[in-house]
Amino acid sequence: MIPGDFQVKKPTSKQLAIFGTLGVVGLGSFVAIALGLTWIVSAWLGMPVIFAHDQGPTQPIAFPHPTHVQDLGLDCTFCHRNVTEGAAATIPSAGLCLTCHQVVGDGLEQIENMREQVADDRPIDWVRVHRVPDHVHFVHEAHIRRFSGVKTVVEEWTDPNEQAGEIRLGEALRIDPSVSVGQTMEIAEAQVCSVCHGDVGSMATVEQVRPLKMGDCVDCHRDNGAPTDCTTCHY
Amino acid sequence: MAENKWGMIVDIDKCIGCQACVVACQSENNIPINEEGHFNQRRAIEWIRIERYWEGEFPNVRARFVPVFCQQCDDAPCEPVCPVYATYHNSEGLNVQVYNRCIGTRFCANNCPYQARFFNFWEPEWPESLKNQLNPDVTVRSRGIMEKCTFCIQRIRRSTREAAKDGQEVEDGDRGMSPACVNACPTHALTFGNLDDSDSAISKQSKEELKQPAGSRPGGRGYHMLEHLGTHPNVVYLKKVDKTAEEHEVHG
Repeated sequence: MIPGDFQVKKPTSKQLAIFGTLGVVGLGSFVAIALGLTWIVSAWLGMPVIFAHDQGPTQPIAFPHPTHVQDLGLDCTFCHRNVTEGAAATIPSAGLCLTCHQVVGDGLEQIENMREQVADDRPIDWVRVHRVPDHVHFVHEAHIRRFSGVKTVVEEWTDPNEQAGEIRLGEALRIDPSVSVGQTMEIAEAQVCSVCHGDVGSMATVEQVRPLKMGDCVDCHRDNGAPTDCTTCHY
Repeated sequence: MAENKWGMIVDIDKCIGCQACVVACQSENNIPINEEGHFNQRRAIEWIRIERYWEGEFPNVRARFVPVFCQQCDDAPCEPVCPVYATYHNSEGLNVQVYNRCIGTRFCANNCPYQARFFNFWEPEWPESLKNQLNPDVTVRSRGIMEKCTFCIQRIRRSTREAAKDGQEVEDGDRGMSPACVNACPTHALTFGNLDDSDSAISKQSKEELKQPAGSRPGGRGYHMLEHLGTHPNVVYLKKVDKTAEEHEVHG
């Protein structure tokens, strides 16, 4: 044999078995890691995992929206008073709750708790459900102004001059699931909320229904002819 | 919707160097407190600064003041060097800094001839007593990104929105639109407004003051800072009316 000449050694059957097992284990773990990563990435893309929860957070006082909205017929704007005036929708102070609950709801544990807190001058630490990052400036008032009033339902937004009297089917369906294209609907200010927040009136625990990420905002702005300059929201 | 092109006139003749604009800007725009060490390292953040120059020999020394801030250049040197398009020109003639896009290369600050861009070398901090005075309409910039004068775009946005609410278009100084520095100036040395609106005070004044001398008519006092660089700023400076210099010229 010439020195340096390479002779292939035939592996023994025992070695073959080891290599085979290692290969299968390696392939298996590779597939597992790949699937895991895909799941994480798709979860990040598909769901609001950072700024929201799958289910709404537990509030210090289990405020039942259905009771107040569906049974009593209160408007969103009755409590969230600043929503048609400025940027923040605002949570009402406990004083507003007490206008009714001074006399209503004696004996209910949650309401007694609230009265106690108010008597102690302790604010109610509501847990925020919808939150956008600090570098995003969302103004409720402007969006409610755009979508409230008498609107004709259209398939797609086209003409900037007609825009004030039109609403796209996509948004209209979120307000009233029974509308169709061509129909005229009168949208009250408090109805606009459901475009982004869903039907909060029927939620026992309030949860976020839309991703509310930049893609979501920009898509809607583009579809509705709203400005898409960065400084519309970022400043 | 009418086109807007925001601009500013700085009348150096009126500036008394009181620094009220600087304070107003710091508090309006959530600018962190600059300590002495920051100045010594040349890392202080001041979107508007008063440059002070001494003129003459003792005992006839005079102080000259020039407020310097982002000139919102039409051909801004900071824009083409940004690799991530975090600074660009928007339709209102503003040179915009998008904080969430910025990756902190600092190329723009190096390319700015006015030194109007500032880098956050530290996480911004405020004493406990000042935490509640932060402006909720302005982003608190975190460490590692660039920032600069925005012409108080949060005020422009708010007043435009409030005008739209009443079905109107916003006018200069209407509904608190002027930047904080303009509102704070005790001698009205700063004027803010829409250069594209031919009826606005600022467009008339800047047109008048930027006139070149022709024949017997003297030229205006207006000039752009570092005009020869061709950055085409949207800020017009009006030079000081110096009585003594004129006398000197006549008698000298």
